[in-house]
Amino acid sequence: MVEALAQAAWAEADAALARALADADVLTRLVKKSGPAVEGALAMLRQSLGQAARKRGLTRLEEAGARAAFDPNRHVLIKISSKQPKDVRIVIPGVVRGETILVKAEATPVSPRRKR
Amino acid sequence: MSSGWVLCIDFGTAFSKAAAAPRASWERFSPASVRPLMLDPAGAGNPFLLDSAVFVEAPHVLFGSAAIARADALAQEKRAALRSFKTLLSAGDLERALETVPPASIDPTRSFVLRDLIVLYLAYLQAAMVRGLAADRMLSQVDSFERRYAAPAWRGGDGARMHGAVAGLFAEAETVCRNIGQRLLDPAGVDLEAAREAVRAARAAPTPIQIGLIFEATAAAAYTAIGLGSAATHLAVLDMGAGTTDITALAGQAAKGYHELPQARVTLKQAGDFIDNIIVNVALAKSRAKTPQAQTALWRMLKSEMRDFKEALFASGHASFRFDGRTLKIALRDLEQDRDFRGFAGTLGEAYQHAMKLLADEARADGATELQSVAVGGGAAAPFIQNLIKRTNKIGKVKVMARPATPDWAHAAEFAGNLAPVFPQLAIAIGGALAPEGMLAARGSIPAASARSETLPARD
Ligand SMILES: Nc1ncnc2c1ncn2[C@@H]1O[C@H](COP(=O)(O)OP(=O)(O)O)[C@@H](O)[C@H]1O
Repeated sequence: MVEALAQAAWAEADAALARALADADVLTRLVKKSGPAVEGALAMLRQSLGQAARKRGLTRLEEAGARAAFDPNRHVLIKISSKQPKDVRIVIPGVVRGETILVKAEATPVSPRRKR
Repeated sequence: MSSGWVLCIDFGTAFSKAAAAPRASWERFSPASVRPLMLDPAGAGNPFLLDSAVFVEAPHVLFGSAAIARADALAQEKRAALRSFKTLLSAGDLERALETVPPASIDPTRSFVLRDLIVLYLAYLQAAMVRGLAADRMLSQVDSFERRYAAPAWRGGDGARMHGAVAGLFAEAETVCRNIGQRLLDPAGVDLEAAREAVRAARAAPTPIQIGLIFEATAAAAYTAIGLGSAATHLAVLDMGAGTTDITALAGQAAKGYHELPQARVTLKQAGDFIDNIIVNVALAKSRAKTPQAQTALWRMLKSEMRDFKEALFASGHASFRFDGRTLKIALRDLEQDRDFRGFAGTLGEAYQHAMKLLADEARADGATELQSVAVGGGAAAPFIQNLIKRTNKIGKVKVMARPATPDWAHAAEFAGNLAPVFPQLAIAIGGALAPEGMLAARGSIPAASARSETLPARD
């Protein structure tokens, strides 16, 4: 019973940690040109978050900037759109543990490649 | 009487680890029943890792992280903890090496020879295992374990005698542990006189134990092969720990045992500790810390956080630290451009290619078309190690397959994310517990009527 409770707490903490990891990415994008002091502090914050996440077995899902076929199980669109896109570009990577997805990757639709 | 469970100890240079698994694992593998032991549940580090360290300071003897903390606090006074004592076990003349008197920096009280301190540490490890077993939901139900320890393969020498000597230390440690018990785990240490008395008594009356030996590389082969339909017949193991980096080439069949290609074996004295020093030097240069006080402060800060710092550096290609009001960043490139590092990487690369070539020749002669390669130990995740084992895909006609340092099953939901991050460091203990009987290098009752301790014949 105690063990089960501990597990439940861990699972919740892990989900929050995964969220924080993705949020730190968002923040990093916003404060890119804010001077060395802020960048340094942010680098330390991301490092600690990354370490905590890896110690909990969490890894990234997709790479920022990468293009992928849209999969609603793995991706969430940043802007709500009525039509489901075929391809997306990853903006913020998601977070997974093994096969389990804790946070989906945020993505934007890209127009389909022109056929040559 | 045979027990249903196996317990394997990996007495490491920097950290000791232990893991248990059902004896039938080889035939029926169930990841959830692989149980690494929480040897240091309340420590600041990873609970599966027990610092290999002893510190003597009258009127106490301290162990593990408490020993390291105290030694660090007294570093200015030329005091040091006994660490890396495992390297002693591969000394040519082990019995004599064990009788050496340690320097005054380690034992100013002149109470002990090295053997005594190792026996005391093993007793501490034993006490930590008893606590770890009791804390495990599954293992606390098991009343006896088949015991094994992992060690590097001995070069030449008398294997049976070496096994006898090492097993003898475990037998004495058992007596000490029974005598002092869980008090060994007290962070304040144990009473020095009581410790001295306990080792003396243990020498006179070691507790009879049964313990088997598995070579470290074979243990790596066991975890790599388990759960796979087709186990490797030819495997290279690259083990980077704290003190040494070892390359071993194995050939054979998982269930029947492997033999080593002795000409392929290389042990380099550069490993994690060596890389730590390079990182500290790079950091010192970047920090512009000029005064000796500032340099010492930086040195201490980095040393105490080095494992995490390296983890971040290897995982993301850079790592930052805050010093004197500034944030300083070190990139993997800074390490890779260091002259000493380049020398090490070069030597390692050559030794590895040499071993792979010999292994490929052996594979061809055995009619095999594929060989495998795996990295284990705390340094397994380092990009230069992973690049090395992934670089070669083919040698002549023999295909080379790099196996992951952390197998997929370590991500199983049952472990709730706790096992995978530390798996490479636990790999030897886990592999040693999973290995089938046929992989053991020796077994026997200790103390033994000499005929009862046997070294299993090497398959030619
Ligand atoms: N995640 C990691 N990334 C980089 N280095 C690590 C990591 N974990 C441990 N280490 C390093 O690995 C070494 C310890 O490895 P280990 O295999 O336990 O050694 P040993 O068996 O010799 O005690 C130390 O140098 C430690 O700093």
